[in-house]
Amino acid sequence: MTRAQRSLYIWLGLAAVLIAFPLLAPVLPLQPTIGMDIPHRFAGPSAANWLGNDEYGRDVLSRIIWGARASLAVAFGSAFCAAVIGTILGLLGGYFRGITEVLAVRSTEIVICLPPLLLAMLVITILGAGVLTLTVALTILFVPNYTRVVYAATLQTGGLDFVKAQEAMGTHPLKILARTVLPNIVPPLLVQFSLTVASGILLESGLSFLGLGVVPPAPSWGLMIRAARAAMDQQPLLLLWPSLALAGTVLLLNVICDRLQDVLSPKTAARGGAAWLRRQIKRTPDAPAPEVPLLKIEDLSVGVALEQGSMGLTKGIAFEVKPGETMALVGESGSGKTLTGLAMTGLLPNALSVTGGHAWFRTEAGVVDLAALTEEEFGPLRGNDISMVFQDAAAALNPVHRIGDQLAEIIQCHRPMPKQQAEAEVVELLRKVGIPDPERRIRAYPFELSGGQRQRAMIAMAVANAPKLLIADEPTTALDPTIQAQILRLFAKLKEDNPGMGVIFVTHNLAVVKEIATHVSVMYAGQVVEQGTVEEVFADPRHPYTKALLASVPESDAERLESIPGTVPQPGAMPEGCRFAPRCGHAAAACAAPQPLLDTGEGRTTRCLRWADLWKDVA
Amino acid sequence: MSPVIEALELTRNFPSRSGWVGAKRDVWALRGINLSISRGETVGVVGESGCGKSTLGNILLGLDSPTGGGVRFEGKYLHDFKGAHRRQMRKRMQLVFQDPFGSLDPRRSVGAQIADGLRNHDVVPAAEIPAEVARLLTLVGLAPSVAPRRPSQFSGGQRQRIAIARALAPRPDFIVADEPVSALDVSIQAQIVNLLADLREELDLAMLFISHDLHVVRHLCTRVVVMYLGRIVEEGPAEQIFTAPRHPYTQALLAATPSLKRPAGETGKVLDGELPSPANPPSGCAFRTRCALATGDCASAVPPLETVGPERRTACFHADLTAGQGGLQ
Repeated sequence: MTRAQRSLYIWLGLAAVLIAFPLLAPVLPLQPTIGMDIPHRFAGPSAANWLGNDEYGRDVLSRIIWGARASLAVAFGSAFCAAVIGTILGLLGGYFRGITEVLAVRSTEIVICLPPLLLAMLVITILGAGVLTLTVALTILFVPNYTRVVYAATLQTGGLDFVKAQEAMGTHPLKILARTVLPNIVPPLLVQFSLTVASGILLESGLSFLGLGVVPPAPSWGLMIRAARAAMDQQPLLLLWPSLALAGTVLLLNVICDRLQDVLSPKTAARGGAAWLRRQIKRTPDAPAPEVPLLKIEDLSVGVALEQGSMGLTKGIAFEVKPGETMALVGESGSGKTLTGLAMTGLLPNALSVTGGHAWFRTEAGVVDLAALTEEEFGPLRGNDISMVFQDAAAALNPVHRIGDQLAEIIQCHRPMPKQQAEAEVVELLRKVGIPDPERRIRAYPFELSGGQRQRAMIAMAVANAPKLLIADEPTTALDPTIQAQILRLFAKLKEDNPGMGVIFVTHNLAVVKEIATHVSVMYAGQVVEQGTVEEVFADPRHPYTKALLASVPESDAERLESIPGTVPQPGAMPEGCRFAPRCGHAAAACAAPQPLLDTGEGRTTRCLRWADLWKDVA
Repeated sequence: MSPVIEALELTRNFPSRSGWVGAKRDVWALRGINLSISRGETVGVVGESGCGKSTLGNILLGLDSPTGGGVRFEGKYLHDFKGAHRRQMRKRMQLVFQDPFGSLDPRRSVGAQIADGLRNHDVVPAAEIPAEVARLLTLVGLAPSVAPRRPSQFSGGQRQRIAIARALAPRPDFIVADEPVSALDVSIQAQIVNLLADLREELDLAMLFISHDLHVVRHLCTRVVVMYLGRIVEEGPAEQIFTAPRHPYTQALLAATPSLKRPAGETGKVLDGELPSPANPPSGCAFRTRCALATGDCASAVPPLETVGPERRTACFHADLTAGQGGLQ
């Protein structure tokens, strides 16, 4: 049983115990709910009446337990019936659209236009008062809420690939709705359910008060709250008990719905929290800062904090970037190339942190260790000395602010200047990154720009303060070939304009590396496996992984592509020794031990023990 | 050999309106597409986003309806089939998606999702479904024991294999693969490309392979069509298109593709500008706004797709000037 399941069962057990009370009310040794005892009206809790007596001297405890029968039956009954009807209407309307949508969704929305209490009164006046009628009236009231929620969720889910796959398979539409769409819209449905139950209990009280629901003297929580409110100054406790019962029920229901979502969800919930809430681990540099030209990473490790200790994601990353160099980090997904880039900017996701090593970086004020900086210390560096270009410009730019304002903000944040001057600088910047008509474009919102122009705008943002180090994380991956070529040319031009700038270019595309980088670090399973200049590494790879990677690029004339068997090992299940050994055709007994990065001369390194044996002619 | 699937003068517009009261204007996603695919043949569709590649795939599968023209599957028009007959038809044509993380239902086991296709059309008797699922998983190179697992327990490459197994379940004759490898890592991409090539041979499938990775298309496809703004601008055998492109757009596309074989320091000729808006395409040849060869003729008429060699067609008024230029290293 998983943690989430255990937690769900605990809460369900508690709910079962609580529900047992009203269910067993007839056999419990409770005092009569309508037996009046006027001399003891408003009496406080006592041994005989645990929760005291109400305004007619009736026992509050037994009225709460008996009242739960009516209140919960109405609330859960109407919430459930409305959920079933509303879900069916929403699913049909959202999936089939057109006339079905009008009939199923728009028609129920008429109900929303009417005042809820008035509508309920109308229904009850026609059908006569009573618990059942009340449930029917509330069901009608609640249906449109469900319909709308389910309709919206269905529209969203219906466009997803796996639903389209079912259509392509020729599955009957109703089967698609029941089997594929419904399970995927359960989360918002559960939230809506717990909200509806709560408002059902409240509406029940209002209608009961008007004599349209539960008829006094029969108890219900709503009636009790109403009655207690009138006597609030005489006995405030009377208001407390039914309110506690009400609030407790709603909270319990919310918790159960939340836990149910956790259990049903295929993904486990993310841990961590807002950056300022997390424990700030101040890592003190344990070594004096060395003299570095720009950036020197030594033995850097990033790990994820789990319940059972931390799990390493990258281990012993080491490379150096000199001014004017472009270092490409290349590798497959899960190799740790993006994490390494993020660690340089202190932007690691919440659950991750640097667990060891140094990243020495030269600033105006001297050499600092990026791996040991706190969030506050990073502030002045980010966007100024170090900046980052992300893969998805559409997601990285704020959609509700104009491009020009976003750029001006980053300039003024690090170099305070008047608005006019900043704007002039922004126009110049946009012109520099090749956005046509920059005077007008600064007024544009990100959605008004094409994908390529958005990427240019984000690059403009990154180079706004002439950074010393630019980290580009797959900046061209989402772009079309001709636009990718334009952006690569832009990077080359920016480096010409600012020859001292070091660039870390994260990519999985080897041909792009060849085009843009001077040096390359090949990463595999969280480690650097080979390093050197692009020309030498590509011409003469000294690690079997690099060699295999180059061979798997579909540019050869071979009939079949070279593919590397197997998959990248998962973090937590890394091989003890060489991490590539299980997929390597040259693995030997000695590969079972951890491999250091070996110096192979001419400024090149490899993490392969056997490189000299395997490539004798080059050694 | 008679084609499995044919597109005849396919046209698709998406009606749109600029603003609330703005003029109604059609976005032309496809215009006059003619294409046929035979058994054992893989046709690559290349072009930039917005050129109509995916719309073409959807229409061929019957997941979208054309505004004009029609699709013929084994000689019968798709639009003649409705309801249950249409669904029956669908098992013969399947789709492999780009995103291996979005194309599988996260809440159901992969075995159940593969079995859906078998159950829908009674491909095998109910009792044999587990065995058939196991066979399909083995076919795509996975262990049969993985069937009860949920998609989240698989890597991207493994998911793409599962998606392919699911597509193969109803024993289709025609498969549309919409960017099936572009979300995968290089080494995994090679595995999937090899798998698709093997399956094509083994099952004698007709395949439409949509991709913007020209290297992969060149490797896998037998024939290639190049699309620009909803039209086919060039068509021909893959090897010829890549070694001797005739349309200036194809040449530009090839030049823009980074290559390991290109000598260091030499960058290809970079095409300026961006794809014009399909809601407001240029008159005449849609590519003329970015084309170095464009003349007055190009603005006044749309160049027809004309034969320029055996099985080669190109839509350029200046095709005589472009011979012998460009090509992928």
